[in-house]
Amino acid sequence: MSVLAFTPVVLRTPTSVKASFPCQPRPKFRTTVSFASAPATQIGFSDPFVLQLAETLEDSHSPSPLPSLQNLRDTSSESLLSTPWPSRRDEAFRFTDTSLIRQSQILPVTQPPKVGNLATGSEDTNFSHLFIADGFLVNSIPCASSLPDGVFIGSLSSDSSDGIREKLSSLFSDFQWGDMFWSLNGLGAPDVTVIYVPAGVRVETPIHLKYLSVEGREGGSKVLPLSNPRVFVVVEDGGEIGIIEEFVSSEGNENKCYWSNSVLEVVIGKGAKVKHSYVQNQSFNSAHIKWTSVRQESESRYELVEASSGGKLSRHNLHIQQLGPDTETEVSTFHLSAGDQTQDLHSRLIFDHPRAYSRQLHKCIIAHSSGQAVFDGNVRVNRYAQQTDAGQLTRSLLLEPRATVNVKPNLQIIADDVKCSHGAAISDLEEDQLFYMRARGVDLDTARKALVFSFGKEVVDRLPHSYLREGVERQVKEVLRRLTSENE
Amino acid sequence: MAQRLSISSSSRPSVLPTPNSSAAYSSSNRVPFNFNFLPHPIHPIRLCNGSTNHRRLSVSRLAATALPSVDSDDSAGASGKKPLLEVKDLKAVIAETGQEILKGVNLVVNEGEVHAIMGKNGSGKSTFSKVLVGHPHYEVTGGSVIFKGENLLDMEPEDRSLAGLFMSFQSPVEIPGVSNSDFLNMAYNARRRKLALPELGPIEFYAYLFPKLELVNMKSDFLNRNVNEGFSGGERKRNEILQLAVLEADLSVLDEIDSGLDVDALQDVAKAVNGLLTPKKSVLMVTHYRRLLEFIKPAFVHIMEDGRIIKTGDIEIVSLLEKEGYKAMSTS
Repeated sequence: MSVLAFTPVVLRTPTSVKASFPCQPRPKFRTTVSFASAPATQIGFSDPFVLQLAETLEDSHSPSPLPSLQNLRDTSSESLLSTPWPSRRDEAFRFTDTSLIRQSQILPVTQPPKVGNLATGSEDTNFSHLFIADGFLVNSIPCASSLPDGVFIGSLSSDSSDGIREKLSSLFSDFQWGDMFWSLNGLGAPDVTVIYVPAGVRVETPIHLKYLSVEGREGGSKVLPLSNPRVFVVVEDGGEIGIIEEFVSSEGNENKCYWSNSVLEVVIGKGAKVKHSYVQNQSFNSAHIKWTSVRQESESRYELVEASSGGKLSRHNLHIQQLGPDTETEVSTFHLSAGDQTQDLHSRLIFDHPRAYSRQLHKCIIAHSSGQAVFDGNVRVNRYAQQTDAGQLTRSLLLEPRATVNVKPNLQIIADDVKCSHGAAISDLEEDQLFYMRARGVDLDTARKALVFSFGKEVVDRLPHSYLREGVERQVKEVLRRLTSENE
Repeated sequence: MAQRLSISSSSRPSVLPTPNSSAAYSSSNRVPFNFNFLPHPIHPIRLCNGSTNHRRLSVSRLAATALPSVDSDDSAGASGKKPLLEVKDLKAVIAETGQEILKGVNLVVNEGEVHAIMGKNGSGKSTFSKVLVGHPHYEVTGGSVIFKGENLLDMEPEDRSLAGLFMSFQSPVEIPGVSNSDFLNMAYNARRRKLALPELGPIEFYAYLFPKLELVNMKSDFLNRNVNEGFSGGERKRNEILQLAVLEADLSVLDEIDSGLDVDALQDVAKAVNGLLTPKKSVLMVTHYRRLLEFIKPAFVHIMEDGRIIKTGDIEIVSLLEKEGYKAMSTS
């Protein structure tokens, strides 16, 4: 695409879009975008790459009959008009290199892929399973015992979701904190998978969402198939549920290139509880961008445990908005960068109401000299969030020379009666512990491996289900073993 | 039995006149000296009773054998003892600052002997044990250490441990994330590998481990906890003794194993250590107080001052120490 001289597009009156773009192929937006509803003045530059991508996403599916989904697409495309591709000069992407995506040709996956037998048998049959392949909900296996009454799990467009669409449409609200990837997902998601828990209902068995990336190209091909899975979880007052998200490549695709751009929105009602586990184990040539946006009403509890070890570029954007007092939030994340990988966590916790309790623990291991990890932990304790108790701790293990980690814990505190702490430590393995093990006859190499593994174990042990823990442990051991055999 | 050394079965101690006779020891080391046929433990030989004239023995190369708190069978099977550890004129400095701590330590520990080292704070007792184990904070600047006939100072810490040297740390470090059972399993398998024995899987290892747990009077639920994480001082010390029991070391260096232990815990630890002693295994204790020595009876007590061992005797020295303090040691 040629570089252009941009004239700022000032969107004030409902003018036609066409007149404003100088010497550009007109973006063929079939939807009528009403600019009257846009904020007063929105000055932005339109990025041709983004526009072209938006166009392809538009073309990838037909307009949806559902007004809420169509509305989502409209607002997303509107924001994409004025959102440039993030560059290293944007604070949010200062340390994260997105050239893997930027320099590839992006092909949205338009049809649900053909997948063979999805149930691999290793899952716990007590859980409900949903299989989302390339953004399309392709299969669901209900759990052995039936779900409580009123609980709905399925796609928004399916017929059975009629009853709840009314309830959900009021909850689809505009997200002010999203970035370009959020909007891309909003525009390109073929459907929304909904998990709905009515008031007071406790769902005993967790819901396991398995995201498969089926379409993939060979490494180095510079073509990235793009999938936009979108999941919306609503737990009404007093409800409880456990959600497990697992991102994997489908069999045989372990080294393929693809881009998974997913969004999970969680609305937690008053007094409700959600336990969220997120395991990412995608191909080492893939791009993985995920948004998790959580809204917590008063007295609710949200717990997140994350373990990410895959992806060449893996970025998790976590946004937790407090909508009422006395909430509890616990976030534990573990990132492993064992090759030429970037593991990125950008989290934001916003407190506007008093007496919140939150703890955040982030651990990352960078075990390769080209590996990189990024952490940006933002906590905003605003004016009315008195007696907030917020703690944040990030510990990084740098094991190889030239490995990089960029940590930016940042707390923005306006309230004056709060207890907030943050800590960051970046180190190699502890000498004392290594010596203790050597003095017991364990050779240096084994001791290092054991200590590296145990570093991540603190977070991995918080995963609530043993098969998940074992899976992650196996994965980490395998990655570390491969590393040492490479070095030999 | 042809290797019986010149020290005969007489009950009088004889002081080896010159260091050259150690050659006699080293040659005997190569021949496997099998104690298994000995029906009785060797009779503890009492050194000059009541005499305060212990200075003669400061060379401390005695072939006299002693086993603590064993039955007083008067069997005359006192063969010569192989030296397990020979420290000659060991000098060491702190690696970072170059400050000299050990200024020429001489010590011989034979198989089956229990030694104790006492001394003022800062005399170099802990440094001595750390140097033996190979701690990176210290650098050896002179002297030699021979352990089981091999040069100890050339070996890496893990090799020293595999050779049969065990040190129990004064303040054991926490290793969060590594469970006790995993840690012991790793250490034990490393030892088995060295002895060319097949490694044990977790279940077989547990079967091996269980009686050792009873020996140190610890419950099995502690195995699932992480190494020393959240352990009290006494629990850490007992964990050290458990590791000693599992690894079956030949020479255990116990650095202030009694510090921070209550009376019951101390008895447990002492019982465990005594239970592990055999005619071939030795113990070197570093301690401040008599209390431990009541339970684990040493044959030799050394007083360390200013980086050197200045006095050697038996437990009677301790009485003198408690009455008159360390001053009495240097002046008498």
